[in-house]
Amino acid sequence: MPEWIVKLQKDFITAFVEDNRWKYLVEGIQNTIILTFFALILGVILGVVIAAVRTTYDKQYTEIKNPVGKCFLAVGNWFCKVYLTVIRGTPAMVQILIIFFVIMASSDNKMLCGIIAFGINSGAYVAEIIRGGIMSIDGGQSEAGRSLGLNYVQTMWYIVLPQTFKNILPALANEFIVLLKETAIAGYVGVTDLTRGANIIRGITYQSLFPLLAIAAIYLVMVMFFTWLVELLERRLRKSER
Amino acid sequence: MNGNHLIRVCGLKKHYKDGAIKALNGVDLEVSKGEVIVIIGPSGCGKSTFLRSLNLLEVPNEGHIYLSDVDITDRKVNINHHRQKVGMVFQHFNLFPNMTILDNMTLAPVKLKKATKEQAEKKAMELLRVVGLEDRAGAYPNQLSGGQKQRVAIVRALCMEPEVMLFDEPTSALDPEMVGEVLDVMKRLAADGMTMLVVTHEMGFAREVADRVIFMDEGVIMEEGTPEEIFNHPKNERTKSFLNKVL
Repeated sequence: MPEWIVKLQKDFITAFVEDNRWKYLVEGIQNTIILTFFALILGVILGVVIAAVRTTYDKQYTEIKNPVGKCFLAVGNWFCKVYLTVIRGTPAMVQILIIFFVIMASSDNKMLCGIIAFGINSGAYVAEIIRGGIMSIDGGQSEAGRSLGLNYVQTMWYIVLPQTFKNILPALANEFIVLLKETAIAGYVGVTDLTRGANIIRGITYQSLFPLLAIAAIYLVMVMFFTWLVELLERRLRKSER
Repeated sequence: MNGNHLIRVCGLKKHYKDGAIKALNGVDLEVSKGEVIVIIGPSGCGKSTFLRSLNLLEVPNEGHIYLSDVDITDRKVNINHHRQKVGMVFQHFNLFPNMTILDNMTLAPVKLKKATKEQAEKKAMELLRVVGLEDRAGAYPNQLSGGQKQRVAIVRALCMEPEVMLFDEPTSALDPEMVGEVLDVMKRLAADGMTMLVVTHEMGFAREVADRVIFMDEGVIMEEGTPEEIFNHPKNERTKSFLNKVL
């Protein structure tokens, strides 16, 4: 056997098999998935709320009769705009450091910090995706709903949002993929995510090739699997288009 | 107040851009139950704006609209409640593309608790039968032709059992060979005694079906009368020149 193959074999064993080092990667996969999943949920909730406030302000402000409600909506809209500007205007890396070392400095739950940081970050992007989706629906759709006597919320819920969801699914999937990969920076605040798992192995073994290639492949497979799931969903949603 | 009028409009004004563009410049109109009114006029004359303001899709800046003697321009009035009584048909159909024809028709009656799902579906199927589309109940709007879509849009509005129907250029987006099928449905509706306001360029329909024809220009009603008066003996110069161009 050529010498370089023997060396690779040895490196592989050092990187993954010795001392069961592959377990760092398994733990990393788990943490990356947990982090992404809960950050996604938080992001979607924040995104929906913000998109709802922003769209309602744009479309309904003049129609609202109650002055107190009007005031609340204007203030809410202002807060949403500030949130969007700040979150989209600063790096995710800086945000997670601020959350971990400043805002939640008293908490030692690293995972929770990560979830909150990434959720807040993702929420800003999801909000604008949803808002864009709502605006892309022809105004005639909501006019038709309102002309039948449905109120604003009913029209949004039964008519506009189902169509919005179908349209924004590719953009949402994109945001999810970005989020999944961005969690790679969670290691900076001590969450043992997938990238950190590889770095731990590198630190122990002084080997870079296999740990890094392995996590690259794992990220790729996770993204491909998710893309496949979204395609299935899209195909189901598109059944009304001939 | 006069109880005979289903709709009474007084001094309706609508302007955009702080008064720079006056879409409606003082419109008065009374509509009796069962009347069919056709509104004609050059594009940009305010006829669509006027029609759309009758169920407050456009909110007027001045004036009052009384629907069954309730002033719907009053801020305290629940407009959703009144819109249930005013059916509207749009130029571009505005069917909900993600729902079947049947769901398009039953959504509002069921969600607004006017009927149970079974009752609403039964009524919808009856109406679809009347317009000859009962076999398309399970289809999606994209699978229908323009004329079929507009017929569905009409019966969708009828599912709410409205007291008046508004038609905003219902045949303008249709291929010429499909105009007839939609007008036939509207004629039958008129014959059944429905109160209708129709903005259209179909002068033949106006002549045949209208009780009253209204000519609008520059945001006001320039002339109104029976089809005979408007089409054969127009008095206003603007009406004459408009009719010369379109007839």
